[in-house]
Amino acid sequence: MKDAYLGIDVGSISTKGVILDDEKHILSSAYIWTEGDPIGAVKRLLGLLEAPFDQSEYRIVASGTTGSARRLAGAVVGATMVKNEITAHAVGTTAFYPETRTILEIGGQDSKIILVENGVAVDYAMNTLCAAGTGAFLSSQSRRLGIEVEDMGQIALRSKHPTQIAARCTVFAESDLVHKIQMGHSKEDIVAGLCQAVVANYLNNVAKGKRIETPVVFQGGVSKNVGVVAAFERALHCQVRVDENGHLMGAIGAALLAKSGSARQEFRFATQEVEFKTREAKCGRCSNNCEIICVYRDGKMIDAWGNRCEKGDVMHRKAQ
Amino acid sequence: MGKKKMEVPKKVAFPMAANYNYAFRYFVEQGLGARYIMQPPMTRKTLEIGTRYSPDSVCTPFKTTLGSTIEALECGADTLVMLFGTCRLGYYGELQEQILRDLGYQFDYINLATYTTGKNRDYFKAIGRVNPKVNPVKVVPAAMDTVKMAEYIDEITAQYYLNCGFELERGAYKRALNQFWTDMDRAASHQDIEEGYQRVKSAFQGIPLRKEEPLRVGIIGEYYTVQDAFSNLELEQKLADMGVEVHRWMNVSHRNLHYSGEKNLNVRVRDLTRFSMGPTSTANIWCARDYAERGFDGLIHVKSACCTPEIQIMPVLQNIGADYKIPILYLTYDSQTSDTGLMTRLEAFYDMISMRKKVIR
Repeated sequence: MKDAYLGIDVGSISTKGVILDDEKHILSSAYIWTEGDPIGAVKRLLGLLEAPFDQSEYRIVASGTTGSARRLAGAVVGATMVKNEITAHAVGTTAFYPETRTILEIGGQDSKIILVENGVAVDYAMNTLCAAGTGAFLSSQSRRLGIEVEDMGQIALRSKHPTQIAARCTVFAESDLVHKIQMGHSKEDIVAGLCQAVVANYLNNVAKGKRIETPVVFQGGVSKNVGVVAAFERALHCQVRVDENGHLMGAIGAALLAKSGSARQEFRFATQEVEFKTREAKCGRCSNNCEIICVYRDGKMIDAWGNRCEKGDVMHRKAQ
Repeated sequence: MGKKKMEVPKKVAFPMAANYNYAFRYFVEQGLGARYIMQPPMTRKTLEIGTRYSPDSVCTPFKTTLGSTIEALECGADTLVMLFGTCRLGYYGELQEQILRDLGYQFDYINLATYTTGKNRDYFKAIGRVNPKVNPVKVVPAAMDTVKMAEYIDEITAQYYLNCGFELERGAYKRALNQFWTDMDRAASHQDIEEGYQRVKSAFQGIPLRKEEPLRVGIIGEYYTVQDAFSNLELEQKLADMGVEVHRWMNVSHRNLHYSGEKNLNVRVRDLTRFSMGPTSTANIWCARDYAERGFDGLIHVKSACCTPEIQIMPVLQNIGADYKIPILYLTYDSQTSDTGLMTRLEAFYDMISMRKKVIR
């Protein structure tokens, strides 16, 4: 039996999973939409990961979760490592590209930049409240234009004169976009303009004040859009590398972090039949009224979080 | 027959400001002979009330101070004191008074910004409004004790965040600190203050620590948000709980009581900035470079949304970050800032500086 490591990255838009062996080879991987149901997505994901995975030769000895639903996903799979997505991306990418200096990452709702020196992250920034220049913006605009978000990159590459679109904020970008459509700009030019707007927004907001050094690696769901990649290369005057597994880097990082961690807990694929439920409760023990999320596995509470102080510590209150 | 008018002491309240309300209480009760109304600690509800009656784009300290002032009124305060400052805070008192009057509250409003002429006579005018028959023989020693208490509060708070992440027995530091707050809340004499201070000092000294080459993080930023644990979502506690030695220069002792003066401090950062950009910008620039020169592992810059002075110093901080190769995390707080978002960024920051430290070493 050889050891393997499971990594799951549950984002706002997509859910990613990988199983790695000791040599960092991907034994199995999957990429699906979260569709507003992180628990359901994790279960479906596990189904997809299980099929090509050889359980007679490997066993999963540690598992890690990351992404905005990392805590919930961690409770579902019984993860040995729950890590934020910034660290997971940095660890995943530097494991494959130790010479990299800048990681650009654009996901569904968030975008970040990580600066790397000697194989470790030395600085990072992440967008705050605004989802401008992220995948969600591109996919909502692709619907308006009547094209698939997956085709946007190819369409953008056909453009000779990308339309200038105001990139400061999605609301302005959208009204400017409508205006340019009604003016009669061609669809290719509009799509290419959108890709440029995403890049301009990213460089002006997230990457503001950061020194971008080569080699540059670009990842996250939006890195699959060749139009955005081309726009980045034009704006930065350098080659931007996109790994074929760039969309899985968060999950790979989670698996690697689980591997390097000390905790070990064998994972079997039995969780799919288990029923997981969450319940939201108001603490009510002071006027903070913390929202506490309780996670139940087959009717038994396995985890709870959201409390600011020990008054709302439901897990330990029960134990007492 | 002449009727003797009953003297009813005023019920005075201040907005909640970090842990300094104990000092306000001491001065009001021991120095001015009035009653002090201590509203409950700030919660989400405070912020909700404050946000509801505030202009949307104003900075968060306006909202929290307004919210906690309303809570003080509901606790029975009849005399409100508003703090002042050299940024927009100087105008906040006037605006908050108008908002509170429009809401229909009845109160006497002492806006300190209108008394800060620099002349002692004018400060006494403000004091006279709390209690016209105030006894000057009592006010002066009480003021000195109050200053002492503020210094002790700063010293103890600083020690707490430097060490509480390394205690062997979980919660020991917190217990000692809470006892100190109780002592300061109840203090009614110079001796009480000294005893409370000695008690917490010896309690802190008795707590065993395990601290070997800890990660050191310096926190700088906007005066109110950086000091008030509720406003910065317990940033310092969160870092300490991860096992970080947390340093913060900004407090009343350093910035107000023993400040070397804007011009004198500016001399030391002349190569970075030629002019002052706001009440705390010179201090923050100096402080950031000081931390960087002392080899700290990271800096965190804290501000509330729309805080112009702090936005202006960010390019200078970026230069310091590049020159000294020190990671800086920039945090902006407003009424919508979530605990989860902050935690994600802090965890990532912690991972980054700890992995970086291993490689550098």
